[in-house]
Amino acid sequence: MPARRWRRRRASVPRGGGPRPPRGSGWPVAVSIVPGLLLVGTFFLVPLGVLAYTALGDWGALGFRFLGLDNFEAMFADDTFWKAARNTVIYSAAGVFIQVPLGVVVGIILAQHVPGWKAFRTILFIPFVISGAAYALIFSVFYNARYGLLNSTLDVVGLNRGHDWLFSIDTALYAVTATSLFILGFIIVLVMAEIASIPRELYEAAEMDGASPLQRQLRITLPLLRNVIGTIVLLTLLGYLALFDVVFILTEGGPNDETVSLVVYTYRAYINGAWGYANAVGIFIVIVGLLLIVGVRRLFRIGERTL
Amino acid sequence: MRRVFGGLGYYGVLVVVTLLALGPTLWVMASSLKTTGQILSGGSLLPQPFTLEGYTTAFKEAELGRYLVNTLVYAIGGTLGALVTALLAAYPMARYDFRGRNTLVATFSLALAIPVVGLATPEFFVMRELGLFDRQYGMVIFYTALFFPLSFVILRAFLVSLPPELEEAAVVDGAGYFTIVRRIVVPLARPALATVAVIVFVGIWNEFFFANLLMASSENQNAQMAIASFRTQFTFDVGATVAAATVVMLVPIGLFLVLQRQVIAGLTAGTTK
Repeated sequence: MPARRWRRRRASVPRGGGPRPPRGSGWPVAVSIVPGLLLVGTFFLVPLGVLAYTALGDWGALGFRFLGLDNFEAMFADDTFWKAARNTVIYSAAGVFIQVPLGVVVGIILAQHVPGWKAFRTILFIPFVISGAAYALIFSVFYNARYGLLNSTLDVVGLNRGHDWLFSIDTALYAVTATSLFILGFIIVLVMAEIASIPRELYEAAEMDGASPLQRQLRITLPLLRNVIGTIVLLTLLGYLALFDVVFILTEGGPNDETVSLVVYTYRAYINGAWGYANAVGIFIVIVGLLLIVGVRRLFRIGERTL
Repeated sequence: MRRVFGGLGYYGVLVVVTLLALGPTLWVMASSLKTTGQILSGGSLLPQPFTLEGYTTAFKEAELGRYLVNTLVYAIGGTLGALVTALLAAYPMARYDFRGRNTLVATFSLALAIPVVGLATPEFFVMRELGLFDRQYGMVIFYTALFFPLSFVILRAFLVSLPPELEEAAVVDGAGYFTIVRRIVVPLARPALATVAVIVFVGIWNEFFFANLLMASSENQNAQMAIASFRTQFTFDVGATVAAATVVMLVPIGLFLVLQRQVIAGLTAGTTK
């Protein structure tokens, strides 16, 4: 018995450790943790359980009937599901290959403390605090065929064909994708914080060895940003996996499902009362999210220090 | 010479990116001061004549004020809830070692990793079973829960880095557990609490998905739902809609401009720790 206790305490030490609670504070500690435990239990763990179980059946206003894996079969056989998956991949790819590199480049530029860097950091952060709903409204007006800024700008250069960007099958997906590509504030701030922690001596040494400014950024900064870029890529992917507001308010997934995202697709099933089916898609989303966390952490070796 | 060109290149990138990032937003904000007729005719970038017509319509006819008050209730209530519950849980789990602590830390942190939008239907079910569906206090509780994991993770990371001497001295002096939390931990954690408060407040202010999912009656709607429904209602008044959207976004923008340091520090701490 004493041996078991010893082993348990030792096993928990490397992750922070700390002393045992002082005498008499066992109850207060327990009482302090209960509210959080109730919240997490009620709104995360129980819903996860409900999700896992009800995905295996026909669940709606009339009750629940166990079906096994039928929902998943139906899901994988549905063209709209694949369209939603494809679109989510496209949104994410645009995020990872356009938004993230752009944010990293701007972050590196601003970290040089060029005159005005603080102002640019502040201004470029603003889009990040604007809600998805407000953003959707901004772009619904911006893309409007008749009075939108996009077409009136094209008018100036004589290219305005009165195109309806959001509701034409050939441009809708691009138009929706473009709405969030320039929300860079978050990326910039993380990159700048990471660069601030790089010792200046590294750059001075490289400069003495005759490395050009560009070489210094490519050979020193970029490799040292691996950790933070990994984190940014992960958060970007999780963000697009959860994409709903902008798509739902701008197009509701239309025209002809060209812009539907996975979450909009689940939401439709929920609204139609096909709760079991909605939850099968929900499980798919949760599993993809967890796989992304594991995969991206591995890929970028997040957590390992380079210095 | 090369320096000058390098500098120009930098500013070229910065200016283009800024225009792309904020151009549409600024244009919409400027449009909120135009008459609906002027917006619909396209043309000029700046409002002339300048009018507050859109704002009056948004507040008088669309009752924007009521939705803003609702949003404020959710945001303040949820922020307080998340702060209190997260601090209570984070402190002992940062300071002390006890049976099950690591499991609890892992569970709370895992809750942050789950894509909650995947849980839409179960959340609706839980809220309905608990009688919280379409209730204002229900939404406050829900938002408390939604932002608990993030608040917990940020606060715990901060508290772990805090030296324990002050509290140890207080224990020796015979201070009770909650006295220590109130008199020593809360004041020391003030910077982290401020950061979490801003982030959670803005998060709840901007929240649309669960508001839309968990509220049915229009008198409980938050401002995000209100502006989204302006667009789909068939009496679509562009002037009022852009004015309402402007008001709704100016709140988090204003908060950010005032509390920039806290926001930036918090985001950096919350994601890299």
